[in-house]
Parts: sequence; C-alpha cells; structure tokens
Amino acid sequence: MNPTRFQRFRNNFLIFLSVLGPGIITASANNDAGGIYTYSVAGAQFGYSLLWTLVPITVALVVVQEMVARMGVATGKGLADLIREEYGFRTTFLLLGLLLIANLGNTISEFAGLASGMSIFGVSRYIAVPLGALFVWALVVKGTYRMVEKVFLIACVFYVAYLISGFLARPDWKTAVNNAVSPSLRFDSSYLYMIIGLVGTTIAPWQQFYLQSAVVEKGIKRDNYRQSRWDVIIGCMITDLIAFFVIVACAATIYVSGQRQIADAGDAALALAPLAGQFASTLFAFGLINACLLSACILPLATAYHVCEGLGLESGISKRVHEAPGFYSLYTGLIFLGALAVVLLSESKQIPIILLSQVANGFILPFVLIFMLRLSNRGDLMGEYRNSRLFNVIAWGTCAVMITLTLLLVITTLFPQYLPK
Amino acid sequence: MIHFSEIERLDAYDAKGEYLGWLVDLGIDPNQNPLRVALYLIRAPKKKLLCLTHEQIQSISVRAIQANVPAQEIRPFAPDEGVIRIKKDVLDQQIIDVNNQKVVRVNDVDFDIQPSERHTHLRIVAVNVGWAAAVRRMLQGLAAKHTVRRISNIFPSKTIPWEFVNLIEPDPARRVKLRITYHRLAELHPADLADILEELSRDEQKSVIESLDNETAAHAVSEISPRMQVAFLESIPADRAADIVEEMPPDEAADVLQELHPKTSAELLANMEEEEAEEVRDLLGFEENTAGGLMTTEFIALEASGTVGSAIAAFKTFEGPIESVHAVYLINGESVLTGVVPLAHLVLAETSAPLKELSTDPVISIHSHKDGKTVVNLFHKYNLLALPVVDDDGRLLGEVTADDVLELVVTRK
Repeated sequence: MNPTRFQRFRNNFLIFLSVLGPGIITASANNDAGGIYTYSVAGAQFGYSLLWTLVPITVALVVVQEMVARMGVATGKGLADLIREEYGFRTTFLLLGLLLIANLGNTISEFAGLASGMSIFGVSRYIAVPLGALFVWALVVKGTYRMVEKVFLIACVFYVAYLISGFLARPDWKTAVNNAVSPSLRFDSSYLYMIIGLVGTTIAPWQQFYLQSAVVEKGIKRDNYRQSRWDVIIGCMITDLIAFFVIVACAATIYVSGQRQIADAGDAALALAPLAGQFASTLFAFGLINACLLSACILPLATAYHVCEGLGLESGISKRVHEAPGFYSLYTGLIFLGALAVVLLSESKQIPIILLSQVANGFILPFVLIFMLRLSNRGDLMGEYRNSRLFNVIAWGTCAVMITLTLLLVITTLFPQYLPK
Repeated sequence: MIHFSEIERLDAYDAKGEYLGWLVDLGIDPNQNPLRVALYLIRAPKKKLLCLTHEQIQSISVRAIQANVPAQEIRPFAPDEGVIRIKKDVLDQQIIDVNNQKVVRVNDVDFDIQPSERHTHLRIVAVNVGWAAAVRRMLQGLAAKHTVRRISNIFPSKTIPWEFVNLIEPDPARRVKLRITYHRLAELHPADLADILEELSRDEQKSVIESLDNETAAHAVSEISPRMQVAFLESIPADRAADIVEEMPPDEAADVLQELHPKTSAELLANMEEEEAEEVRDLLGFEENTAGGLMTTEFIALEASGTVGSAIAAFKTFEGPIESVHAVYLINGESVLTGVVPLAHLVLAETSAPLKELSTDPVISIHSHKDGKTVVNLFHKYNLLALPVVDDDGRLLGEVTADDVLELVVTRK
C-alpha cells in the first residue's frame, strides 16, 4: 500500500471513529426485550429456518436508517422538527401522541424483560425494577451528554454476550449458514406471522426519530457523511448479527430438544442451561438485562426529546431540570409508569398495554416512513443529498412491503381470533 | 384581533360575489411596510394560485374574505423571495424571541383587522407560542370557530410581540431581501446569545454568527459548547474563522484550536495576526488539564521597583479584557515572579507608594505542569480570584482566573 493511500485510509478511519455512535447505539437499543424475545421464539419454534429473513431485514433497515441519517446530516434538524415544519401542528401532535403511547408500552416491556432476566439471578422484581429505573433515570438527569453516550457505547459492547452464548450452544453451523443464505418460504400461517413479528421488532418508528436526532446532536458535518453512513450500515449489521446468534442459540438447543414453548426472554435463558451449559444461560440472561437497561434508558429519552422537539418545548440532556421541565417530566414519567406497571401489574395485565403499544407502533410506522420518503425527496431541504431515482425505487418498495407487514401485524393483534394456533 | 389559524382556508369572493378559492397564505413585504399584510394567496379550483394585494381586500372576517375587484383583475401568484410568507416562513418555524432571549416555535400568528372606507388591512401583531394557540391549531376545522375560541381561551396564552421576533433565515441573499438583521442579538450578553445559538440548527447558527462583527462573534463562540465551536469554525472560510479566533481570549482560543482537526488548526494560526498567533501557540504547548493549559497570557506584569502610579498607567494601556484583571504581578529582570498586588490594595494606596510593599505575603503561584485539581484546591484554600502560573525557574507565564476554574468545576460535575 503506498503511503498516501494509507494516510487517506487512516484519516477516513479517524473521522469514522469521531462520528461513530448514533448508528451503533440505535442499532443496539433496537435489540431490546421485545427483540430478544421475538428472536428467541423464532429460533425455538422454527429452528434455523427463519435465518434467511435476516438478510432482507438488514437491507431494509439499512435503506431506512441511511435515509434518516442523511436527512439529519443535510438539514441539521430532527425528524420531529421537520415533520412539524412541513406538515403542521395537528399531524405532529397526533403522531407524537401515538409515539408516546407506543413507547410507554415498550418501556413497560423493557422493565418486564429486566425483571425476568434478574429473576434468573434470584433477584426479586420488586428490587430489580425500582433499582433499574432509578439507575437509568439518574444517568440522564445527573449525567452529561458525553458521559451518557459513553455508557451507551459500553452497553453496546456487552451485546457480545449473545455471540458467546451462541457459540456455547454448539449449533450446526453448516445448516445455519445454509439457511441464512437460501430463502425458504413456507406458507403456513404461524410461520408467516413470525416473519411479520421479526420485521416489526426490527424496524420501529422511534428509532427513526432517535437516529436522526442523534446524528444532529453529534453535529456531524456534510463532509463527514460518508463515514457516518458506515456507522449506520455497521450498526444495522450488528443488529442482525445479534439476532442471528440469538436465533441460532435457541435453535441449537430449545428447538432441538422438542420443548419449544417459551413465555418470555428469561425463559429462553433458563431453557439454555441444561442444553448449552450454565455459563451460556448466564450470559444470555446478562445480555438480556443489559439490553433492557439500555433500551429502558434510550426509549423514554428519545420519546421525551421528540415530543418536546415537535411541540417546541425546551429539551436536551445538557439542560438543567428547571430549564426544560417538560422534557424531564416526560422522561421521568415514562420511566416511573413503566417500572410501576411491572411492579404492580401481573403479567397477564401487562399484556393489553403492550398489545396497545404494538398497535400504536403499527399505526405510526406507515406515516413516519411516508413522511421520511417525501421529506428526503425535497430539493429545498436536502439539496444534493436528496434521494437518487434508483434509491427511491428501492426505498418505496421496501417501505411498501414494511407497511403491508405492519398493517398485518396490527390486524392480527386487534383480532387475535384469526391468529394461528 | 384575529388568528392565522382562523383565517387559513377561509373562502374568498370577488366584487361580484363569485367564489375565488380559499386562503392558503399571507405575505408581508418588509420593503414596503414591515407590519402590513401585503399579499393574500388564494388557492383557486384547479390548483391555480391567485394573489390578492392589500388594496384589493374589501373586508375580512372569520367567515370570509371579500375582494373589491372582479376576478379578471386578480393576477396569478408569482413566487417572490422578498416576501415573508406567514405559513411558509413563520408558522411552525423556530424564531428568536429577542426580549426573552429564547428560541421558540410558533404555534399561531395574531393580526389586527384595520378597516377603512375602501379596503381592510391586516396588521401583524404578535406570534403565539402558548398552549392556547396549540389547542386552537388542534381543534380548528373540527368545531365551529367560536367554540374553538372558547375552548382555547381556557388554556394559558403566550404571545411575543412582532417587534421582538427575529426570524431565522439561513440563506444570506434572502435575508437581505427580507431585511432580517441580527443587530439586536449583538446587544445581548454573549452567554445569552450562546444559549440561543445552541438551539439553532447548524446552517441557522452559521447565518447568525456570520452576520455578527468579529468581536461579538468571538464572545459568543467562546461560550458555546466545544463540539459546536468545532463544527462552526470548520464550516466557515479560514480567514473569517481566524478573525474570530483572534478576538477570543488566548486561553479560549487555544482550547478551541486544540479541538479542531490539526490541519484546520494550523491553517487558522497561519491566517491570524502574528502576535496573537504566537500567544496562542505558546499555550498550545501545554497539556489540556494542567495549570498551563488553563491559563491566559493576558495579564499585567510590572517591574517590582515600580509604584502604584506605574501600575495604573499599565491598566490604561492594557489591551486584554480589563474587567477580568484582579491583580498585577511583580517580576524581576529575568521575569521571575516576586510579588502579587491585589487590585484592592492598589485602589487604597497612594500613587507614589512602591508596589513591593503592597504585595501579598506569601506569594501563591503554581507550576504550569500541575493538574487542574491542584489549581481548584488552591483557589478554594486561599479564596483566590486569580493565580499566577510559573515555569521551572519561577518565571511568570500566565494566570488562571476564577472563571476558568469555575468552568472546570462545573463541567466536571
């Protein structure tokens, strides 16, 4: 390699490190309690046969996330800001109201996941949930932006626990890789429903808002967009790499054993123990706790941000509590209610709230995607960063598929009598 | 008083009572009259946009707009960059509330109806940022207008008079056309101005700072977060960035340059005046979190043999920020620190008194390699306002001032 090329590589790499963060953090927070559970079920019930879906899901994720990151870099504004400026008050208010409901449900499922993960270590949920809530709350309210980002990045590294437990499960790698690269569609309804679930958990509305704001907050310049795009692409690949290992771990153990029913992600961790060893089970549970804490912090944070952004209230981690009362009360309220629901309500009573949030998510996603596509095609906002024609074909196609799948998910959630047994 | 949300989508009729279309936007031409609504944009059926001028408006109410000319005389709308469009440029956008030094989002815009014999004018009065306006926007069109008014009146209203509204326009050419200036921002305290800048997007920040003079810009840039400093300085031409950095206190300038890409930093130094660049270069040699890294090189040092009179003369010729001088330092021929005379001692002494006798005892100083924590402890222990920094041989290099220490303590927390 000649020196100038090496220098260019090194410069690019240094810039990459400086813009690193938003994509990878978003991607990791995406593998939250709901995500881990869905992947576990996919592996436990269908073995390796759903692995191929991760490839198109990754492509879709990259297409969507790249678009929001590009919007953040080109406009220097958050998605909620742009929607407010272009689509007016009422649309923004309704969209954010639904997002608030959806994310309250998501927060509840994060704390439920935390409770189930901690119970494996023998910690009662009456201790684990309040302490966890206090920890994530204090981190943001008392911490600075830089510190919070560092804690998030460290939490992202802990996802490696899933990789190790995947290896410990001693899967049949040949079958796994074969299934990952060769699609095999089955037309039985529970199989299709699982695919919808996988797509729904991987591409959520809140993460579009979060990623764009994180890119803006990080102050990434147009010149550094190329490196920032790599952050996003690598982030998306990590999301699905983790998904791959969770599915593989459950496929190699729970699916093979024949006892394929699991009630939550903690169950999956427990079921790993006799088949892959105690260490694999412990790692899996640790990964779950880490994922739940990270998402229990990011979700309420992101929600508080976007609601304030859209309504024009003061927001930001760098603000003191009295400067941004709306922001901090939303953040505190979400965490408090989320943790309270898990402590007070039995699991059967949490389910309707979580279902409601899924429906709310499903309602918002089509709007968010369509707004994103339209905004990223606006020459006056995006300049030379607007979508190319080829990209538009791919993006509209991807979004159409995702919208269809999401609506199917909403229908099956609202009318469970049509659900496959 | 009428709100924009109440006249948006209002039906418009011509002089013969024929339906023209519905109102989509209002325009103000700041070059004619900065308060009067000059243009009424009407969306005619078949997507055509018409433009009524203010002379063509007979009357306006929450029910309808009545033109005083027949439809044939109304011209189609031609886009004009020199017009402030209420819906496009003001409603739902961020604006700067100059009076309260805040960036806020506009929920509604308020107008006065001024009827005269032949036509009616709308005059812009204020922008509305409160909950009442939010509720109005939420409900408008879903219930009768008077019901909406009644409900929204329950909520607190918050308005900013139009004269205190500073629009944010990133495009400099359009800013000139619209006569938007940021003069009033230059009069704010730099710390308040910095708060406002932090709320704006990158392009908007750039447009505000670019329109300020170097000194104001330098003060404001000193106060914004390091990440934004970097983003801003790297986005403007190097000579202008150098002009701004030059006006910053040398210690702040050195901090900023340290954060920049080494290439950009070198480029800025090359563009700066030699004297200022030299001072900053000296400071860049010190590590960030040491006494040397914290200190400024703008201070007053005098021969120990001088008198109070010579100290006061030195004050008069001092080029740095005079209000941050709390003491004068006494040095010998080799620049070695021999004494510190607090400002209060100078004020109380006779002009002819020798400085040596006014010095505090012992002289408290710190070595440039000592870390920030030691600096903080010394300030705390001796209740200092400023602390001289010396090298291995006791030569005076600079001083750390209380504001830098405070920043260190606050940001570390």
